[in-house]
Amino acid sequence: MGTLFHFLPINLLAITAFLPNALIIKLHYQAIVILFIICLMIALLTYMLFYMYFKSKHEKKHVKWRIISDLLIRKAVFYDDDDEEAETLIPVTKRAEKLMRNKHFRALLTAEILSAKKNITGTSAENLIHLYQQLNLEKYALKNLKSRYWYIKAKAIQELTVMEMKEFQTLLYPFTNNHNELVRMEAQTAIVQFQGFEGLRFLDIIIYPISDWQQIKLLQQLSNVPPVYIDIDGWLKSANSSVVVFALKLARNYHRFELHDLILSCLDHPNPEVRLQAIHCLCEMYTDETSDQLISRFLKESFRHQLAMIKAMQNIGSEKDILFLLSLLDDDNHEMKLSAARALASIGKSGLTSLQDHVKSAGYPLNEILMQIKGELAA
Amino acid sequence: MSWQTFILHVFTYGILLYSLLLLICYILIGSFSISETRTYLNKNSFTDYRVLASSTEAPSISVLAPAYNEGATIIENVRSLLSLHYNNLEVIIINDGSKDDTLEKLINAYDLFKVDFFVNEQLPTKPVKGVYKSHNPVYRKLIVVDKENGGKADALNVGVNVAQNNYYVCIDVDCVLEQDALLKLAKPFLENTTQRVIAAGGVVRIANSCQIEGGRLVKVNLAKQFLPRVQTLEYIRAFLLSRMAWTRLNGLLLISGAFGAFDRDIVIKCGGYNPNTVGEDMELVVRMRRYMEERNEPYRVSFIPDPLCWTEAPSTFKILGRQRNRWTRGTIETLRIHKKMFFNPRYGLLGMLSYPYWLFFEFLAPIIEFVGTIGLIIYCLTGPVNWSLFMIMLGVLSIGILYSIFAIMMEVLTYNQYRNKKDILRLVLVAVLEPIVFHPFVVWSAIRGNIDLLRKRNSWGEMTRQGFVTEKKAQ
Amino acid sequence: MKILVAEDDQLMLKMLEFRLKKDGHEVIVTHDGREALEKINDFQPDLVITDIMMPYLSGLEIIGAVKKKYPTGTPVIILSGMGQENVVMEAFQLGADDYITKPFSPNELSVRVRRFDMSIVK
Repeated sequence: MGTLFHFLPINLLAITAFLPNALIIKLHYQAIVILFIICLMIALLTYMLFYMYFKSKHEKKHVKWRIISDLLIRKAVFYDDDDEEAETLIPVTKRAEKLMRNKHFRALLTAEILSAKKNITGTSAENLIHLYQQLNLEKYALKNLKSRYWYIKAKAIQELTVMEMKEFQTLLYPFTNNHNELVRMEAQTAIVQFQGFEGLRFLDIIIYPISDWQQIKLLQQLSNVPPVYIDIDGWLKSANSSVVVFALKLARNYHRFELHDLILSCLDHPNPEVRLQAIHCLCEMYTDETSDQLISRFLKESFRHQLAMIKAMQNIGSEKDILFLLSLLDDDNHEMKLSAARALASIGKSGLTSLQDHVKSAGYPLNEILMQIKGELAA
Repeated sequence: MSWQTFILHVFTYGILLYSLLLLICYILIGSFSISETRTYLNKNSFTDYRVLASSTEAPSISVLAPAYNEGATIIENVRSLLSLHYNNLEVIIINDGSKDDTLEKLINAYDLFKVDFFVNEQLPTKPVKGVYKSHNPVYRKLIVVDKENGGKADALNVGVNVAQNNYYVCIDVDCVLEQDALLKLAKPFLENTTQRVIAAGGVVRIANSCQIEGGRLVKVNLAKQFLPRVQTLEYIRAFLLSRMAWTRLNGLLLISGAFGAFDRDIVIKCGGYNPNTVGEDMELVVRMRRYMEERNEPYRVSFIPDPLCWTEAPSTFKILGRQRNRWTRGTIETLRIHKKMFFNPRYGLLGMLSYPYWLFFEFLAPIIEFVGTIGLIIYCLTGPVNWSLFMIMLGVLSIGILYSIFAIMMEVLTYNQYRNKKDILRLVLVAVLEPIVFHPFVVWSAIRGNIDLLRKRNSWGEMTRQGFVTEKKAQ
Repeated sequence: MKILVAEDDQLMLKMLEFRLKKDGHEVIVTHDGREALEKINDFQPDLVITDIMMPYLSGLEIIGAVKKKYPTGTPVIILSGMGQENVVMEAFQLGADDYITKPFSPNELSVRVRRFDMSIVK
């Protein structure tokens, strides 16, 4: 089903039959309008066909070019620098060199080099960087950096990042707080690629929110570099909520136990997303008091957060929480019951027995919940 | 001036105004679509979707696929769902009381066993008979739910109840998905920092005559038969122009039931799919939007134009007529349920623009057109030969065709699925033929939908639910 | 050694083929999962290197199929962009013999492949 499955109603014409004479446009004007529309149609059609013609011609060329560029890349990747002499050049055929003047070929080759680089590390990757520099491709990227179109700019930043053109990082740093989201994202990724954890300094100054997508990208980028100790405290207190959320993710992924108390304080943050992330974070790094802290805030929270807390209790709950969890078995919401029951079961034997001994455990829904949990424990 | 001429004038000027408004809408939709598509393509031209596939932070997704009497193809279809590129995923097949061997085939092929599973009935549904999982760890993502027959909306509600993940993607089990479909569909939910994305829709394309192997699209061909071919054009127009434009305005009212992603939390809070309407997909989106508007929470319904989902279109007039009949009823039912929003400033753009647009140009268009055509025929039979009338007829026709050609051009410039120049010429030919051959039939089906609904209104309670196999074939 | 390489990225596939051939192996390539299974049956390779995200069949299913057909022999190396703990664990549970995460070093791959070369071990 969809909007605009309907067509311009042809009945529009029916009106003319009844229109007062003054409004009826003279016949030859009507003919001119129709001719104009038909010309437009023909123009669009011609444009389309020309576009397709050039595209398919281009594609045929592309097939040939791809063979050339793949060969070039393969040579570079498996180039053995046996001579031990510095700066030996990767052999580039005359033909490829000539083609380098063509901007479409350059675009294709660059794309291929980038895609290969993303999949490869070690000496082979270094060889690829050599090839990239040897062909002066970074010059074009630098030129694109000055483009007035944001997407060309962002793409250029990404290119320099993947090719590890570290020497240009000072050029890129100002872009980390650019007003365009895409440019900003690529620049942030670039700085993290070049400087690892140190590169996260941009979080100190950033005024724009960091999207979840960007957080995923940054964490991915960080997972490729050796973890270094950095100061997260400031970010956990940032006025920018998305920075706090990101810092919480960092704390969790890198098990920064010393931040436990600071993370606890995030449970009282005004932004609900921060509070939720804090619960997720505490789920992985907790002390024996963490569960008390969660319980003390339980009643104040929204249902979503309450549920997240109880799910966290599966990890951090202990025998002293049994009474609280048992009380939740009387909750109206079945999902809450199920989560509480799961948490009880994960506490160990005493939790499971108290669950089984619950007065309502023989009736619906607790009996079914119990069955499922037993099945899960057995699996 | 006699009162007859006065009424006649009111009528003619009314229609004139209506037509001009519609024309303006077309122009606006065209231009909004251009800008939204351009932004989308520029933004994603250098996106590495694999980041999402290899991240532990990717949002969790449940795929919900209702199945009714799908025994012939179910194994292949499930296999292709399981090979979707996404890590944090569960695939839930809901067997809606099939009368054939759908369930047995699944149990045998995927080594399933019945598990104790507490189905949390957050949305009321027909009873669940059993939940199955696989012994084989390769199929750990698979969950099969067996339930009593209750129709598509009911099956989806069961799926929502069983699902554990934050987002769910509903799909028709016989649709063919691209393998990176979920990666692309998940992205809108992660991008927005100021609005909560409550749903994201995808494009549905016509798979007739395409080469499909093992649940995967191998080669795109233009449909060989006339009917699917016109629908190809219709779908391009609807998805590439109209939905893109509405997305730009954040006024999108419909996400196709064949392929869309939803925030499960909000769906549950809204009460899930409405089993009492035939347009459950549209009704849900409207209800979700209404829910967010009433709570004054900033939200967005997103849409991605990449061709990710391919489906078989009806190729006979009989099935097509039934489909359009049902769409009409679905639209009217949805509009009726939410009539409170009509020009209600409290609902913002939703009430002031989206709803009236649907009412005037989706619901009323076929009726006005039908009445107008009849009036025209009477006039032609009784009145004198009127050349001016003929010219205007031609003019309107050519505007319609121009719009279709514009849509084809958008397709060529963006995704260009039909590589052959001949195919494009064929589509243009179809664009020329459509208003004469195909369009009257669509209008007539819509009118039949209106009539059926008026009749059924008297006997509302006894709406028969016969599963959705016949309906679904038509989607 | 006869090696089957399944990888959906054409450029990567070509590079893998080139590198492994250079190491003196016989290499059979394919870019989709279903064809990989057919070729495993037809050519009976001594080693399978496979990506996870591929058309038709995932690499994980290929592990299962190989281990079912050759319970003792034919090691499988997974070469994938997915490095999540749960995926790696799953691969090993299903019987994978090695797991290499992309981006990877071709030199390292070459050494790891050599480990499985029985003719050298003996």
